[in-house]
Amino acid sequence: MIGRDGVTGLVASATSLVLFWLTLGLERNPLVPIGPGFYPRLVLGVTAVLGFALFVTDLLRRRARGGGPPAAPASGANYLLVALSFAVFGVYVMLLPLLGYRLATFLFVLGLSFLLEPPRRLGLWLRGMVLALATTVATYVIFDEYLAVLLPRGSWTGF
Amino acid sequence: MYGLLWDAIVNLLQLKYLLPLVIGTVAGVVGGALPGVTITMTVIIVLPFTFGLDPLQGLAAMTGVYVGGSAGGLVTATLLGIPGTPSSVATTFDGFPMAKRGEAGRAMWLGVWSSLFGGLIGGVVLIAATGPLAEVAVAFGPWEFFSLFILALSMVAGLVGRSLLKGFLSGAIGLVVTVLGNDPVMGQPRLTLGIEFLEGGIPFLPVLIGVFAFAQIMGDVERIGRGGTLHESLDRAITLSVSHLKVIGEILSRPLLLLWTSFIGVLIGVLPAIGGSAANMMAYDQAKKLSRHPERFGTGTPEGIVASESANNANVGGSLVTIMAFGIPGDAVTAVMLGALTIHGIQSGPLFISQNTQIAYGIFAAYLLAHPIMALVIALGARLMLRVVTVPKAALFPVVLVLCVVGAYALGNNMSTVYVLLIFGLLGYAMVKVELPLAPLILGVILGDQIETNLIRAIMTDADLWLFLTRPISGGLLAASVASVAFALWQHRRQRGRELPDEEADDF
Amino acid sequence: MKNSLAILAVALAMAPAHAAYPDRPIKLIVPWGAGGDTDVIYRTFQQDFQKRLGGTVVVANVGGASGTKGAKEAKDSPPDGYTIFAVHDSIHSTYYTGVADVNWTDFQPICLVTATPSILTAAPKTPWKDAKAMLADAKAKPGTVTVGATLGSTSHFFPAMVEKAAGVKFKYVSYEGTAARMNALLGSHIDLAESNLTQKGKADAGQMKFLAIATEKRMAEIPNVPTLKELGIDVEYAVNRGLVAPKGTPPDVMAKLGAACAGAATNPAFAEQMKKHGTIVHYLDAKGYTAFLKKNDAVNKQLAKELGLLKR
Repeated sequence: MIGRDGVTGLVASATSLVLFWLTLGLERNPLVPIGPGFYPRLVLGVTAVLGFALFVTDLLRRRARGGGPPAAPASGANYLLVALSFAVFGVYVMLLPLLGYRLATFLFVLGLSFLLEPPRRLGLWLRGMVLALATTVATYVIFDEYLAVLLPRGSWTGF
Repeated sequence: MYGLLWDAIVNLLQLKYLLPLVIGTVAGVVGGALPGVTITMTVIIVLPFTFGLDPLQGLAAMTGVYVGGSAGGLVTATLLGIPGTPSSVATTFDGFPMAKRGEAGRAMWLGVWSSLFGGLIGGVVLIAATGPLAEVAVAFGPWEFFSLFILALSMVAGLVGRSLLKGFLSGAIGLVVTVLGNDPVMGQPRLTLGIEFLEGGIPFLPVLIGVFAFAQIMGDVERIGRGGTLHESLDRAITLSVSHLKVIGEILSRPLLLLWTSFIGVLIGVLPAIGGSAANMMAYDQAKKLSRHPERFGTGTPEGIVASESANNANVGGSLVTIMAFGIPGDAVTAVMLGALTIHGIQSGPLFISQNTQIAYGIFAAYLLAHPIMALVIALGARLMLRVVTVPKAALFPVVLVLCVVGAYALGNNMSTVYVLLIFGLLGYAMVKVELPLAPLILGVILGDQIETNLIRAIMTDADLWLFLTRPISGGLLAASVASVAFALWQHRRQRGRELPDEEADDF
Repeated sequence: MKNSLAILAVALAMAPAHAAYPDRPIKLIVPWGAGGDTDVIYRTFQQDFQKRLGGTVVVANVGGASGTKGAKEAKDSPPDGYTIFAVHDSIHSTYYTGVADVNWTDFQPICLVTATPSILTAAPKTPWKDAKAMLADAKAKPGTVTVGATLGSTSHFFPAMVEKAAGVKFKYVSYEGTAARMNALLGSHIDLAESNLTQKGKADAGQMKFLAIATEKRMAEIPNVPTLKELGIDVEYAVNRGLVAPKGTPPDVMAKLGAACAGAATNPAFAEQMKKHGTIVHYLDAKGYTAFLKKNDAVNKQLAKELGLLKR
């Protein structure tokens, strides 16, 4: 029985050990007396130890208490919505270089706002459309046209 | 000297200087307040507009951006819980809980007035103490910087969260982030994990935007289905009106705190390469340690806001004098300002103040004047900013995320920073879920490359590792970090002793 | 509703028009941070350049990894004239020392713009009064004089050339970028570094010492600083900055860029502004610049080989 802290500690520890192992093959540069792996190994070693310490403290505390308390109480948090929001954002990021900033942003704002508040009324449909269009146009005009921040153009659309 | 300053202030009150200063300050406040638009980005955007102006006009505008930006971040930090700029990270710790309690006006104006007082204290101290402070900064070699960064990290690791161990782990993860990609000395690829965009390393700004924006936004999103309402975290009916006298009284009734945190801000500003992002967190840590009620920090205590906001504006003063006196940029913002100086053919250096007296004192004057202007801008724009908060979350979140993407994209002018934003958005949310504090991670990411670079510089200069301990300043700083950890341990233990009855409840 | 109609109108007006080059902003990649020498020079240059080009030119700072991060991005950009690259000598040295895979041949030269002569500079706390004293010391105690440099780049190659010509041995410490190097000099954390005339203010104030300049003749701005040649060290060195475009950029676009560059670089006002940065305008057209790069490349390869840094 390990708790959330224990898992966190183990994951951190294991990840750093894997990365530590990856630094072993690094080549040294003749110009620098210590190689590029020296400092990473230091940091990763410390992280592994800290992660393991967190795991052990968690274990000890649980044992002291005699069996852990039940797993995290059902918090009722809407994790599905969080996952979907991340997914929508992920798709947006993937589509940016393909569809271009203007098209992708319009779709993203529309999609996410409808996901967070499903458009059950006409007013919400309208709000979503206006918001998506306004955001896209305003940010594009301000940044690309006026402030010369060159936003991505779509490789599929050329727009 | 103060006569010169007075003349400069009178000179700057002419419309031809006042106008760029006001416009710069407005741009700074807006840029600072928008999550995903940093002061660095704002100052870079304003830079081209200053080319056509005379040097003092241009520098007045940029000083306005810097001062306004350092204060503007607090608006988003208190009202949305997302730091508008790195230098307002610690403001979110107490500003947002206070705003959530329905005291949004108090939280925001505590920040504004603290920024003003901190900035002014910083300015006055610095105009008098430029020489000696700058001498300290130049005496710092790689050993001292390494030890200073270690001190900063160990202070921040002990600062947030219930567990010191988790604080350290979070800071260590931040350092791990910086070893991915390439080594900062030779640019040799290492630990790229076969991912192409990692080859240039991971820049800290998209990490910061991602971690904070997603931790905040997704935290709100997960509550959406539950209560059925989108606007529960901040009441739509909140008002920003507040008794200014009372707020000012609240700040001035803690003169020692205000002076000390402003001093920390100034000191960190003078030291190159650290900048406002560390100043607010170190000041917050100090305030927590000096407080008689450290357990109230993080729940919306006024001290937390005062510490963070006075320090980050005092920090601006420190950075300004360092670039003027030494040509040493304190951070990316001052690096751009240094560029502006040279574009106008002005050589920064110890001769700057004597050779360009009018401009030097003009910058001091612009700095001092920008503070009341900043307060005025926020006062007039408050109603507009209130609208940002009362916009339904379903409409606000997509727009904020788009701005985060634009900001991240503009930093590197390519998609790789946007990918970084996404990855660290996921990590930030995950860290909140396992109760790892975010601030040490961010500081680790900011300082990681510098820690490594200075470590290697020290070893390249002299292979003797004992120098870290035997050089007096370096040794002193390392001793201070050990003391800081010991103190945090002691404080945690004391707190735990007091909280023992309900410890089990929130430990799962 | 009226608002959204207005917005719609703006959106329609934004539809791309396929006019002649350039019909949208051109990204000028500066592979170093904002506020550095390269950045300042190109931000000055950009103003007249974009006017002559008839479009917007945006300076984009893509710093990191000895300037190779920006180079990689420029190389991978589409060769349509909307991405150009601010190159300097480090492209040769970073290629041969194995820091990056990007070579100058990945680009098409547009023009050479400026040259900034290097000055061998010492920290204020060093005991040396002039270059001779320094060299005598370095000879007596090889490997003790510390030099701050961006390893594998110009600030490393210049002292390395001095090292070879004078028969001494330095110890190199990594300080990437001019700003970091100058700070270290001010604080005497290193003994020597490459600098240029932009540091004249600090040298005049006694915060650093100009030992010798790597030009053929002494410069009028600093008549008391001897040239390395006078001291019997046959080294001439300057940091040369030019513009290039990714390979495959169409000829008509190249011609337009070349013409705009010629006009902006030879504008007397630009030369006057560059003087303040200790920089000489050294314009060469695409053909001349190609020959220049070729020659420079060979010199750098040879140098890397002699220094034992050659990785290719």
